[in-house]
Amino acid sequence: MMKKLIINNKESKYPIIQGGMGIGISLSRLSIASIKAGIVGTISAAQPGFLSKKFKSDTLNSNLEALAREIKTVRDECPDGILGVNVMYAGTNYDEYIKFLSKQEIDFIVSGAGLPVDLPKYLKGSSVKPAVIVSSGKAAKIICKKWMRSFNVLPEFVVVEGPLAGGHLGFSKEEIESGDYKSLETLLEEVLIEVRKVEEEYKVSIPVIPAGGISTGEDVARYIEMGSAGVQVATRFIATEECDVSDAYKQKIVNAREEDVIFVPSPVGLPGRAIRNAFTDALKTKNQKIKYCVDCLRVCAKKDIPYCITEKLGNASGGDAENGLVFSGAKAYMIDRISTVKEIVEELISECKYCFE
Amino acid sequence: MFEKIKDIIVENLGVKEEEVTLDASLTDDLGADSLDAVELIMAIEDEFDISINDSDAQAMKTVQNIVDYLNK
Ligand SMILES: Cc1cc2nc3c(=O)[nH]c(=O)nc-3n(C[C@H](O)[C@H](O)[C@H](O)COP(=O)(O)O)c2cc1C
Repeated sequence: MMKKLIINNKESKYPIIQGGMGIGISLSRLSIASIKAGIVGTISAAQPGFLSKKFKSDTLNSNLEALAREIKTVRDECPDGILGVNVMYAGTNYDEYIKFLSKQEIDFIVSGAGLPVDLPKYLKGSSVKPAVIVSSGKAAKIICKKWMRSFNVLPEFVVVEGPLAGGHLGFSKEEIESGDYKSLETLLEEVLIEVRKVEEEYKVSIPVIPAGGISTGEDVARYIEMGSAGVQVATRFIATEECDVSDAYKQKIVNAREEDVIFVPSPVGLPGRAIRNAFTDALKTKNQKIKYCVDCLRVCAKKDIPYCITEKLGNASGGDAENGLVFSGAKAYMIDRISTVKEIVEELISECKYCFE
Repeated sequence: MFEKIKDIIVENLGVKEEEVTLDASLTDDLGADSLDAVELIMAIEDEFDISINDSDAQAMKTVQNIVDYLNK
């Protein structure tokens, strides 16, 4: 049966989290629509100040100002909804973002792209809860142990991201190419085993949330049946009226066929999943010129890289979906029209309920 | 000291005993990723009943570094 998803002592009407998407894809409009549709909203902290005039000269402050503005916009409309911010651990100035966000009116900060060993350090005395995105049972086990030992807290929830997710993947190029990776089902089982042990030991309840390629109510039902407390969905919400991204980006998702969803190299080594376009074609023959650098990721080599991820993702998000990078989950080809967040949520939930009957 | 650390490394990183030499690099020679490194440090903390702060932990690149730290 459908469980209740409780985050920061608030209960979500439906057990679905709208996943954070940078750059400029999941901001206040998508979060407001998500919360109003009865699910959990997530703003992405990946360069939300991209469109600001001083973005290149004062990146950190333009991003922090944009985050404060987006959060306030959501809270003006939805004071009680469950709202979080996704901050990549691999990002530069990670601690500055967390310190700043610890004072904002949000319910959680969720971090992936690396093991966020010190996330709770900056949340002492704050009502903002730390959560984590992992890609293995081992990572879930280690983060629980480390957070408990160093900060005496456990994750508010654990997202398990599988191989069909969008954006950067937690799997190497070799693993992807050889097909030598585990399915989301297998990863979820692994993580559930580890988290159940922690729950037993400390007498707590930690929601485990699978993500990556979840696109039907049947998927939702299957994962809930397996023991997850809900699911995280991202790509499906791109093709909505409310999504903050440009129409050109949305259309790329709508028009994508299965063979258009491809892997691209990225400046940080790990492969990413994106929609094929003029940019990805050009990338096959030569590296793209780097026009500027805002030092976005600690792990970027900054030299001899195929392209600048902030520039290309930001440009696609802003409207140049042919010459920019259109990150997407593996199931984008199943999307064939722009709908609304409410429609998608209602479809997922009614299909899911049907599966349980 | 070295013997004790060797045992912990063999157990946590799943490498062979003879691979664990003093100058072996945790990442390059023993194949530890960032997850393994965090796990290894916690295992050492448990074994020696100590607490290693993050900056000291990050400075541990080789087996020798760990031995030196624990000998201090
Ligand atoms: C366009 C796009 C951008 C994303 N950006 C981020 C990000 O900035 N940080 C992050 O942790 N995850 C990011 N993700 C991953 C999603 O939050 C989510 O976990 C995953 O895509 C779920 O799979 P789905 O898209 O198939 O539903 C992104 C995904 C997409 C499709």
